Amino acid sequence: MDSIIEASQNSTERANQSGYSRKIAQEIVDICFNAGISLAATLPDDWIAHTIACFEQDSRFAHIPVNREESAIGICSGAFLSGTGSVALMGASGLMTLVYAITKINYTYEIPVFLMATYRGSLDDGAKFHVSNGLYLENVLNSINLTHTIINNVMELSKIEEAYHHSRKISRPTVVLLPKRLLQGKG
Amino acid sequence: MTYYECIKWLASRWTDELVVTSAGTSSEFWYDITGDTERVFYLEASMSLSSMFAAGIAYGLKDKRVWAFSGDGAFVMNAGMLAVEQHMALPNLKHFMISNRVYGSTSNVPLPGRESNDYAAIARAFGVSRVFSFKDLNDLKSNFGEAVSNPGYSFIHLEVQPVNDRPGSPPMDGPELKFRFGRNIENISNKKVFSS
Repeated sequence: MDSIIEASQNSTERANQSGYSRKIAQEIVDICFNAGISLAATLPDDWIAHTIACFEQDSRFAHIPVNREESAIGICSGAFLSGTGSVALMGASGLMTLVYAITKINYTYEIPVFLMATYRGSLDDGAKFHVSNGLYLENVLNSINLTHTIINNVMELSKIEEAYHHSRKISRPTVVLLPKRLLQGKG
Repeated sequence: MTYYECIKWLASRWTDELVVTSAGTSSEFWYDITGDTERVFYLEASMSLSSMFAAGIAYGLKDKRVWAFSGDGAFVMNAGMLAVEQHMALPNLKHFMISNRVYGSTSNVPLPGRESNDYAAIARAFGVSRVFSFKDLNDLKSNFGEAVSNPGYSFIHLEVQPVNDRPGSPPMDGPELKFRFGRNIENISNKKVFSS
């Protein structure tokens, strides 16, 4: 069996073939590091395969691949109480599963966590099974007053650090949504 | 063994570990027995995430020992947590999974698979090497050193009887728990939890 690094490198090659930008992924990871993040708990989505690989292959971070998105919330919430900066990185569908964990853990105890998720269901998303995210993702986030922002282009990448610190400031989760065009280096 | 005598004995062996309890009985008994409000995070709103929460703490505080309590109701919901714990391999984390074959915090409603679930076997199947299973208090006492005191991530399955009389939740709101626990972390470590 491949080592986790070899498997991660294979994933990188696949993401290259799919048209996603390693350069953008590295910029996102660098911004996370500069913000004070040292732990990344992740679940995959094609769009962020490069970003996950960058976390995995970067010794500045502990990368924890998790079994489900709620586990990422658990780990990142605990990490906060250990004084460790963290990010939960996932696809939009995974974010849609988090209403319980966020409202029960993060809202009840006022524990900040920072999330990044793909902005699925957009006009340029070819996947029919992500239409539901286009219809409901932002409505769901709004329904639980979950603060979120969309990174529309490279010039707005600095909003990642702002959103991370904003989470600490308001003692609540914040979410950064990553569109396809941005992750392909076209935004 | 009974749930209460299990928790009471473990609390008697508690020294400087940070403790995360889960929804319902483990939180209620631990608070009833210890009364602690600084070294314990009573994660009553946990539903299968207490050990993940504890893993986040243990990762960030590698020189502190962390005990996580969960129940088999949580385990059935999120057995995959063990894949993550096995991957993290935190030597300072012990996961006590207390099994009574019912959803104990919701009127002892029976669990799916209650007669056949073999939790220790499931843990081993996820690749966890240090797996312990006790249904007798004396057996737990005899093997506590190897299971808990020795370094290395352990999954410890404790089989107890369902509970009928529970003492009630710790009398603290969420933010108070956060600040008590977090301030204690700041005091016992060089980590800053809260920003100015």
